[in-house]
Amino acid sequence: MLKSVTESFANIIHGLKVGHLTDRVIQRSKRMILDTLGVGFLGTSTEVFHKVSQYSKIYSSNTSSMVWGQPDFRLPPSYAAFVNGVAIHSMDFDDTWHPATHPSGAVLPALTALLESLPQRAKFSGLDLLLAFNIGIEVQGRLMHFSKEASDIPKRFHPPSVVGTLGSAAAASKLLGLSLTECQEALAIAASFAGAPMANAATQTKPLHIGNAARHGTEAAFLAMLGLQGNKHILDLATGFGAFYTNYSTKVLPSLDSHSWLLDEQDVAFKRFPAHLATHWVAEAAAAVRRHLVLSDGALLPADHIENIVLRVPDVQYVNRPFPDSEHEARHSFQYVACTTLLDGDIAVPSFFKDQVSRPQVTELLRKTKLEHPSDNLPNFNTLYCEVSVTLKNGATFTECCNTFYGHWRNPLNQEDLEKKFRANATKVLPPNKMENLINTVKKLEDLEDCRVLTTLLKGSEETSKTSSM
Amino acid sequence: MHMTLLEARDGMLWFISTYPCKVPCAHRWGFWQKRSVQRQSGERHHSNIFPLQSVTESFANIIHGLKVGHLTDRVIQRSKRMILDTLGVGFLGTSTEVFHKVSQYSKIYSSNTSSMVWGQPDFRLPPSYAAFVNGVAIHSMDFDDTWHPATHPSGAVLPALTALLESLPQRAKFSGLDLLLAFNIGIEVQGRLMHFSKEASDIPKRFHPPSVVGTLGSAAAASKLLGLSLTECQEALAIAASFAGAPMANAATQTKPLHIGNAARHGTEAAFLAMLGLQGNKHILDLATGFGAFYTNYSTKVLPSLDSHSWLLDEQDVAFKRFPAHLATHWVAEAAAAVRRHLVLSDGALLPADHIENIVLRVPDVQYVNRPFPDSEHEARHSFQYVACTTLLDGDIAVPSFFKDQVSRPQVTELLRKTKLEHPSDNLPNFNTLYCEVSVTLKNGATFTECCNTFYGHWRNPLNQEDLEKKFRANATKVLPPNKMENLINTVKKLEDLEDCRVLTTLLKGSEETSKTSSM
Repeated sequence: MLKSVTESFANIIHGLKVGHLTDRVIQRSKRMILDTLGVGFLGTSTEVFHKVSQYSKIYSSNTSSMVWGQPDFRLPPSYAAFVNGVAIHSMDFDDTWHPATHPSGAVLPALTALLESLPQRAKFSGLDLLLAFNIGIEVQGRLMHFSKEASDIPKRFHPPSVVGTLGSAAAASKLLGLSLTECQEALAIAASFAGAPMANAATQTKPLHIGNAARHGTEAAFLAMLGLQGNKHILDLATGFGAFYTNYSTKVLPSLDSHSWLLDEQDVAFKRFPAHLATHWVAEAAAAVRRHLVLSDGALLPADHIENIVLRVPDVQYVNRPFPDSEHEARHSFQYVACTTLLDGDIAVPSFFKDQVSRPQVTELLRKTKLEHPSDNLPNFNTLYCEVSVTLKNGATFTECCNTFYGHWRNPLNQEDLEKKFRANATKVLPPNKMENLINTVKKLEDLEDCRVLTTLLKGSEETSKTSSM
Repeated sequence: MHMTLLEARDGMLWFISTYPCKVPCAHRWGFWQKRSVQRQSGERHHSNIFPLQSVTESFANIIHGLKVGHLTDRVIQRSKRMILDTLGVGFLGTSTEVFHKVSQYSKIYSSNTSSMVWGQPDFRLPPSYAAFVNGVAIHSMDFDDTWHPATHPSGAVLPALTALLESLPQRAKFSGLDLLLAFNIGIEVQGRLMHFSKEASDIPKRFHPPSVVGTLGSAAAASKLLGLSLTECQEALAIAASFAGAPMANAATQTKPLHIGNAARHGTEAAFLAMLGLQGNKHILDLATGFGAFYTNYSTKVLPSLDSHSWLLDEQDVAFKRFPAHLATHWVAEAAAAVRRHLVLSDGALLPADHIENIVLRVPDVQYVNRPFPDSEHEARHSFQYVACTTLLDGDIAVPSFFKDQVSRPQVTELLRKTKLEHPSDNLPNFNTLYCEVSVTLKNGATFTECCNTFYGHWRNPLNQEDLEKKFRANATKVLPPNKMENLINTVKKLEDLEDCRVLTTLLKGSEETSKTSSM
């Protein structure tokens, strides 16, 4: 092999130009940017965001960047990337890709932080931002193709902490205009920051995986710019990036002329409520079953009529929580999402508030719920399905199955619903006119001449900015 | 802790356990603990099975509960030597290029509380960044201590502690024993974690151990010094795990020292976040999907209670290096020096290279120290071949042997061309058992072979106190004036009697007259 894999990555990061972007990639990534901003705004009201903000506040620096939605709160760029990244992933509401990772949260906050911190005279257009963003996404996708296990729901390392850190380093390298060698070194340095264990998913620490990916990727790019050197073949080696995988099998990327974007072939999924993606199948199946079980007033029939509830789901241990004990656990519980949907008819952001999680009516239903793992139901976001069966005391059983939920890449959220989600998320942080302004700016991002227009809109507003935690 | 059986269903017993929280706090104070009963088929119903006290809890218990009275004389003596050696290599490391780069980077951050960069009186950074750059300095030349199972324990812990000591309020007073306790807790946690996998006993292949266990050791030490509650100690370990882990491929590059720097920095950060109430997975050490993610085989054990506590450092000492290169090269250097005695001319120089037919090194199979023609100082520090040839040529090997201009000397390259490695099957990549044999065959057919089983500096043949202090002086001389150097040596020597650690941290400043900020 004349060129190492790592070199081919550096080549792509360094050499791709705005002209390489396709219409579909532009359209898809603009939707990702809008969705990510919205969930980030919403996330600034969470406890975990509050804690990492308190921590990050101790740092100041000459160049600073803004915390989304908080006009007076500025941090050094890598910490702005950190806290904004935590906000984005704080409620498990951000986008999901296939192979599985949350691609946007690792990249976008790093880029907005850098955009703000660069000198006044540096001008970046919307297309510059789109290019750097898509490079950050593309690098993550290409890395995940190096192992079969990446295609399944992860078991050892949380993918955003692995590929996200390198994606962020790639995007930052692009925006900062690093040389070919520096792009390569940035990947190597970033690898030494990558990797967090899955056991911290479904805990309050999980959002830090995305925050740290954004922060450390940025840091890796800065260190590369200062001339720090790592292993130039980091992606080629089993002792390098391969350390994060049991089976690792690399491929040199195509040349710039033959470049194609993974995002062109494979879209992301957007969530309709803040919980693990696998629960979205359950929610739709549960909503469908519920229609058989409602009384005339629309409420669910009394729980004591229900004998049992069976969920046929893939075997994903960390979303198997019969009695979740916190909002983070509830977001990672097939059982909780099923029972809440059966009870309430729908599931949304407030369904995961602490007081909702501990409702006795939900617990009553949870007691009747059990999981089954059909052997044909693999833990893979492209192929999994969820079946919900409710058996009544009188023996009647009602079963509904969901193969593709609305929001999945096979059945994408339409533009109207995507913008609705954004408005609902951003409403506490942005006044209505700014919200519409931001939606329109992102909608026409490829025509934007100066990204400062965009970053200014991220400030929120003095009147409606809130710093209280949830 | 009180346990009540709630119910039994679906082959599982559900308990609720509560433990009282003595001070008002925002934490939950109850949790579900699941136990599974085996079904008839033998399948486990639920994969999260914990013993009555989880392993993670037992670690938190030790971190929180150990007191100065638990320290033994031998642990105090050994850890003071580690502290002195670490300070010395840290001072020396402030002259390296990698230190200069991370300093330039870290300079952009300031904060209200700040800590000092060792040997640089005017250079202050936020505590976690002081820990970072000092940690990088310590590991910058691969000159810091090594333990068995293999890691570099002190560099992850000491800079975190000195940074914290400085940043805490004036009224907070920490004695030398407080520092020794926190330090040894940081070391102990690393050692205990490495006992959870057999692969940790061998020279690592996937993740660089300081980045794995060092991050948690640093979190443990910081937790102790900051006086975190039992729960917070546990959460700090969980949070730290999400920062741990860097691939071995970056060893032998300029990035490697950041593994120690980051361990110190992120461990500190994890402790701070835990103090702010951030929560992670309370069973992080128990789970294969937790800390076990860094290992292929992971098998945990609950730590002994406080009453039965024993220190690993009591049973297993560290090795101190005599020159800044990978530990395995120290066996090679001694064997090569021994062979050289057969090959010298009357003036003490090595016989001409064209008399040498070949040089064979019989070493364990450690790929990342197998570099036939190293290309940089970092590579030279990780090269059996380079260390052997340099020792044969010069008669000794020391700090200057790794400078760039030395690495590229033609006389060395000439010898490197004649050098090859062999990996005897009985020579395992394990710092407790490995050996190195050096064979030089001359053109006239004569062969000279010497073998080293235990080099001077290894835990089986420790550096005596005089040589340890000599190493310190040689390392610190560019940064500390002579009187401060002696002062520091004496302060560390009597650390257990020190009433206020500020005496120690003040001495780390170096001096306005001799401080240097130039890079190598």
